[in-house]
Amino acid sequence: MARIGVFVCWCGSNIAGTVDVEKVREEAAKIPGVVSAVDYKYMCSDPGQNSLRNVIKEKNLTGVVLAACSPHMHENTFRKAAVKEGLNPYFVEIANIREQVSWVHEDKERATAKAVDLMKMMVEKVKRDRPIEDVRVPLNKKALVIGGGIAGIQAALDIANGGVEVILVEKEPSIGGRMIQLDETFPTLDCSSCIMTPKMVEANQHPNIKLYTYSEIEDVSGYIGNFKIKIRKKTKSVVEKDCTGCGECWNACPMHKNVKSEFNLNLSERTAIYVPFPQAVPLIPVLDRSVCLHYKKGGKCQKCLDACGPKCIDFSLQDEIIEETVGAIVASTGYDLMDTSMYGEYGYGKFKDVVSGLQFERLLSASGPTEGVIKRPSDGKTPQTIVFVQCVGSRDPEKGVPYCSKVCCMYTAKHAKLFAHKVHGSQSYVFYIDIRSTSKGYEEFVRGAMEQDGAVYLRGRVSKIYEDDGKLIVKGADTLSGNQVEIAADMVVLATGVLPKKGSDKLAQMLGISYDKYGFLTESHPKLRPAESSTAGIFLAGMAQGPRDIPESVVSGSAAASKILGLFSKSEYEVEGTIANVNEATCVACFYCQRVCAYSAISRKEIKDRSGKLIKVVANVNPGLCTGCGACVNACFSKSIDVKGFMDDQIYAEIKSLAV
Amino acid sequence: MANTKTDEKLQKIAKELLESGEANLFIGYTKGSNPQRMRPVFITKPEEAEKLSFSRHAVQDLAVFLKKQEVKKFGKIGIAVKGCDEKAVNTLIQEYQISRDDIKIIGMQCNGVIKQNLADKGETEVSEYTVYDKCLICREHTPVLYDFLIETEEPELSLSGNVKPYAEIEKLESMSAEEKNAFWAQEFDKCIKCYACRQACPLCYCSRCIVEKNMPQWIDTNSEETGNAQWNLIRAYHLSGRCIGCGECERACPVNIPLMLINEKMAKDVYNLFGYKSGLDINAKPVFGVFSESDFNDFIK
Repeated sequence: MARIGVFVCWCGSNIAGTVDVEKVREEAAKIPGVVSAVDYKYMCSDPGQNSLRNVIKEKNLTGVVLAACSPHMHENTFRKAAVKEGLNPYFVEIANIREQVSWVHEDKERATAKAVDLMKMMVEKVKRDRPIEDVRVPLNKKALVIGGGIAGIQAALDIANGGVEVILVEKEPSIGGRMIQLDETFPTLDCSSCIMTPKMVEANQHPNIKLYTYSEIEDVSGYIGNFKIKIRKKTKSVVEKDCTGCGECWNACPMHKNVKSEFNLNLSERTAIYVPFPQAVPLIPVLDRSVCLHYKKGGKCQKCLDACGPKCIDFSLQDEIIEETVGAIVASTGYDLMDTSMYGEYGYGKFKDVVSGLQFERLLSASGPTEGVIKRPSDGKTPQTIVFVQCVGSRDPEKGVPYCSKVCCMYTAKHAKLFAHKVHGSQSYVFYIDIRSTSKGYEEFVRGAMEQDGAVYLRGRVSKIYEDDGKLIVKGADTLSGNQVEIAADMVVLATGVLPKKGSDKLAQMLGISYDKYGFLTESHPKLRPAESSTAGIFLAGMAQGPRDIPESVVSGSAAASKILGLFSKSEYEVEGTIANVNEATCVACFYCQRVCAYSAISRKEIKDRSGKLIKVVANVNPGLCTGCGACVNACFSKSIDVKGFMDDQIYAEIKSLAV
Repeated sequence: MANTKTDEKLQKIAKELLESGEANLFIGYTKGSNPQRMRPVFITKPEEAEKLSFSRHAVQDLAVFLKKQEVKKFGKIGIAVKGCDEKAVNTLIQEYQISRDDIKIIGMQCNGVIKQNLADKGETEVSEYTVYDKCLICREHTPVLYDFLIETEEPELSLSGNVKPYAEIEKLESMSAEEKNAFWAQEFDKCIKCYACRQACPLCYCSRCIVEKNMPQWIDTNSEETGNAQWNLIRAYHLSGRCIGCGECERACPVNIPLMLINEKMAKDVYNLFGYKSGLDINAKPVFGVFSESDFNDFIK
């Protein structure tokens, strides 16, 4: 006989304010099989949990129903309490009378009636609960980090330092990401490449890190503990083990004026065989076949090979597909900049001296196209007046994106400071909407740009920029004084909004993780699980999740790493036992379940007799992959799949309990 | 009655398949005791192939036998199918119920079969007034997939347009929800839950039908309003995007429920909403098994 205990939680006034909890308790006591019905102010508190345990013990309960908050909140709490009294954790059911009742209804009488219904349904369900064992999945203790920017490098280093092997995959010819493109960093003005290159070198030399640059993820399958990865290692046309990075090849390449440098954001040229920047890690050039004369002119040009000492250039090399098995993945795919040429009024793309913030970083950088001397792209003259325009694309739901790109306020202040330091007597103007400078030392930094370095901050938007006699005339509003302003500038720097890395949505689909409408990867919980993706075993780091600065990216990289090291500290991973279960006797192997399964959790299973003769084929569920979503249950015509804990008879009994 | 050329071709192919072992069982039609009827025949010996025949009275969809364990145990099977019925074979392959390697399809080109009830009264002419509605809308007079094709000797079916196949569908579509409900309530009221529709259907191949699931009993088995509606609607849903329109359920129904109205309406909706027609491609993804971002979702409010 079922011996069910019902516990009705007040949640202070959260539930009791809208639901007559005593009435719920009284109704519970009337249900056959309910041997105890209690209401209590806070069931999740220590005394609340203790009373739960006491009743389980004293009344020898076979099942427990908590009419309380969402199972997301405290299901685990109550399961653990029940386990301590010897109950199977899945004999604890939650009737959510807070999120689904008290918080969404006002009429107390009707809310109470609904709460009673939900409680009744759970009583009928718990009567039909069977014990469920959690599934244990073995772990391949190796991690994959996708993206070698600061977040990915940090994650890789932390994991590797924890004694775990890491595969670091980077799409570009060098690791370093966006951070290595920056000049100096706010708010300390230390040189970005000076603090970044040691990390890049460390990642490259770490015995636990295997680095694949110029490589992309081709395919991902499997599940936590057992992801199968295919990596496309694009050919560099260079035999990497023989290359010394001496540079003879790119010095010999005749294509030195025709190809725009991606790394310098089109502000300089590169050769066909090239390293993106002098401190590239690894320092191995890649040959861009789309522009190389060897491929264009039928093999005639081989000046790089002629110049190469160890003769390590091989024009016939092909892409390689590398297969790896890992237990966990970090997605740190970074960001791109918005194309601001759609703002015709700013003239980006039309006027050479209107540049993006990241381009300005390259103009400031000692390793950049101007070797750190600020020069206008149009005529190479050093500008005396620069106008900075903030929120170009960001916070603009009409033409751009509604979100704040977060780093622009700070880097613009930094640009103004560096401009003042490098060009004495110069003047900068900053058009802004608000100044967002909330981290340690940030507000002081922006103040410094205004007060020490003389940047004039104008609260308002720019309406038009046009060229006149070698100057850029910037027309805008200063809303604080109420005046229209017109500034004759030598250069304009646009604080361009950030977007998720192009193609990160495709990668997310491959990984089976969710992303928001902009393409930023979404966290399992925005506050409490910020490092986890929606899929077990896949973690997130860096700008791929949304706009953030360097310290936050480093923190997120470390967070993902610590989650993985924590995961790998056990020999097996436990998965909730509420997974799909096939009735092999009635399955007719039509495999509609397999077609609808988003997790590739269903495969063919052949049932054979002792002599090895095939008796029948049935669907089979991989417990490591199944999330218990129930899509297969819906697809099954003969009702031959159930999800444990949500069995057909339970659902049926729940529905029946509502019949008057 | 003498063999026609079609019969001879069919018998030759079946004989060879059985002799060579490419088929252990051949399913086809043979003449019934009544010349206006053809009945299925199961041939295992090459010398019995001469029993095979085909005509404008070959009404039954023989693909229904492919789901039977008694047939499956033969392994390699040959079957004579009209274009409409062949779509059932395709769907069975698509749904992994039979392997393409295990079946030899003898496609019987067909220009329409005469309604059995008319044939029983002596009708012998193929015309738009005598054939089934499915023949009037048929686009697969030549089967879409076959190993052997036997061309028809029948004249092409001439359509004047005077006969509107499945005319009731438009009428139903113009009804209000209440009227539709009333219409079907009246039709389902006749149902005696004999499940002949299911038994005659080549695609109802579950070894345990949902109606036989009794822990819990989702569908009431007694024949009354609720149970009848549950049964007929769930069968319609299970066949939407799958039904190939052979019409066997309606023909088998002893109480004349117009089941093809539901099935054709569902097929029409599936085509309009998802651009999918069943039974045409063994490698197509069935509409029930596919999620697409472009799927309509305006029903989510």
